[in-house]
Amino acid sequence: MKKLFLLIMFSAVLILAGCAKKTPQTTAPGQPGAAETKAKWIIGMSQCNLGEPYRVQQNADVKMAAEQHPEIEVVFKDAQNDTLRQQAQMEEFISAGVNLIIISPKEAAPLTPVVATAIDKGIPVIILDRKVVGDKYTCFVGADNTKIGKAAGKWIVEKLGGKGKVVELRGLMTTPPAQERHAGFREAIKGSNGIEIIFDVDMKWLEPNARKEMESALARFPQIDLVYAHNDAGAHGAYLAAQAAGREKDIIFVGIDALQQEGQAYVKQGLLSVSFEYPTGGKEAVEAAMEILNGKTVPKDITIKSRIFTKENIDAGGEWLSE
Amino acid sequence: MKKTANLSNSWLTSPVTRAMGALLIIFVIGLLFNADGAFFKWGTHRDMLRAVSVYGILACGMTMVIISGGIDLSVGSILALTAVCFSLFTIHKGINPFVAVIGCICIGTLCGVCSGAFIARFKIQPFIATLAMMVFARGVAKWVSGGQKISTAVQQADGSYKYVDVPAIFNSISSKIMGNNITVVTIIFLVCLLISWLLLVKLRYGRYIYAIGGNEEAARLSGVPVAMTKILAYGMSGLFCAVAGICQAAQELQGDPEAGVAYELSAIAMVVIGGTSLQGGKGSIWLTLIGVLTIGYLEKILSINAVGEDKRLMLTGAIIIAAVLLQKSKK
Repeated sequence: MKKLFLLIMFSAVLILAGCAKKTPQTTAPGQPGAAETKAKWIIGMSQCNLGEPYRVQQNADVKMAAEQHPEIEVVFKDAQNDTLRQQAQMEEFISAGVNLIIISPKEAAPLTPVVATAIDKGIPVIILDRKVVGDKYTCFVGADNTKIGKAAGKWIVEKLGGKGKVVELRGLMTTPPAQERHAGFREAIKGSNGIEIIFDVDMKWLEPNARKEMESALARFPQIDLVYAHNDAGAHGAYLAAQAAGREKDIIFVGIDALQQEGQAYVKQGLLSVSFEYPTGGKEAVEAAMEILNGKTVPKDITIKSRIFTKENIDAGGEWLSE
Repeated sequence: MKKTANLSNSWLTSPVTRAMGALLIIFVIGLLFNADGAFFKWGTHRDMLRAVSVYGILACGMTMVIISGGIDLSVGSILALTAVCFSLFTIHKGINPFVAVIGCICIGTLCGVCSGAFIARFKIQPFIATLAMMVFARGVAKWVSGGQKISTAVQQADGSYKYVDVPAIFNSISSKIMGNNITVVTIIFLVCLLISWLLLVKLRYGRYIYAIGGNEEAARLSGVPVAMTKILAYGMSGLFCAVAGICQAAQELQGDPEAGVAYELSAIAMVVIGGTSLQGGKGSIWLTLIGVLTIGYLEKILSINAVGEDKRLMLTGAIIIAAVLLQKSKK
């Protein structure tokens, strides 16, 4: 009897702990009366996960750009990294009859049908930074992760002179960005036989994980020339581990995203050697939205250019990556 | 002869010995899969202790709560809240570090006391009350931080960033002492262990915690102040969460409102693997220490061998079950 109670309680703990993370956090659309007097158009912004700094910044960029246009109001919804919730929130936007939707989908395939539903109902949909399957959307705005990974790889080959021992700290290999940053990087270093990947692990985008894994790499390998992390938090975690081991000056740290408060800050402080910008596209999405709402035609795909930030160019605002 | 046999039998069946068995097995695995000798370096053990200390501090509070017959799911969220507050106080506000520490400890303890009050006064089930606190504290952490990490990049009103220096206390907590052989966070963890031991074994309230965990009604009839004891247990858990949050912020150089997700499960696993019973009434802080080391070494061995995430999770689950079964089989 007691054991059964224990089993039930422990199971309940696990289940409830999982459920707790999905507590509803839906923002209702603006009050109709207020909306009518305040804004001409309502835009629904469906964000996949505000738990990531990049997406917090993306929403902030959308909001900042929208404030330049008093005639629009943006309603934000956070799916909290839950595909089913994001589907439900999209359906809420459709039911509310918003004028346009901007969505950064958590995953491509599951969000494709609901985007198509919006299109069928005459609601334009701008896909932001991640894609859906097929071409049933109004406009895609985003950067190219594979290209950024490739640029990082080229920079690394050049920096190391085609020879060196590299640690790769992957983002979260079930997500397209990490897969693409990995694929782009590996493709770029393919021709350089002197570059050896000696430690390759998944740090799940998190700094504490990156630090732990880097500690293991440092314990195991007396020589490490460079760390390629799929985001700046990972590169920073690796730097802290190397610093604690007194080896941070012998190692080059490479990150991606280049948010002002993270990657750019780390480069400015001399912790990372380089960070490759993965722009949020928030501003560009709002600009495209204004074009659409005003009845103009926009390109099907808008690819945003990225910048590379190094110690040499950080104060000048970085340098654009060549195509 | 009988006496000798009894002593021998007693030693073999003691909880500490059974807990040590699991740790020993992990150690043997580490010897076998030592990753080119990395396992034999002191730095690896020091790093393992650093990585596990934050969880260990949480497990100290969790031990008290579990011995009292309850559970605390809110530890990860309170850690995030106090990490955010500590970073906000010291980096953005420039508040005196010791005032900031006291402030954060008060915040953490207050969260724990609130959980304890709901459980003791309103008879809410422990995992419901702490589940609510888990969600609430996470919400407060996000609200206070504005959804962003609180770091040395301070956002100005116009959206640009100003970069400030890392506070000295962050460097102090992150540093190593005794010839670079042990980290300050590990020392803090050991101090928390000592405080927990003193509270559980040397003070009357510790005996009260065991009493209500063993049989709450009998304890009440014996004159034990049940409500106050529960509030104390959860309050201490909240206090240790604050200490863990401060250590987390100092090591990361930032306060992350997303920190600590699922840390409560790790803390519970450490307590249970150590041999403390989820039924309450039995257990020891030293069993928790063994549980912390068992899980810490397991994770470190998997890490130095660069084991893939899929196999890591499977091995961790299997070894947790094996460790618990090992203890039961010897009873």
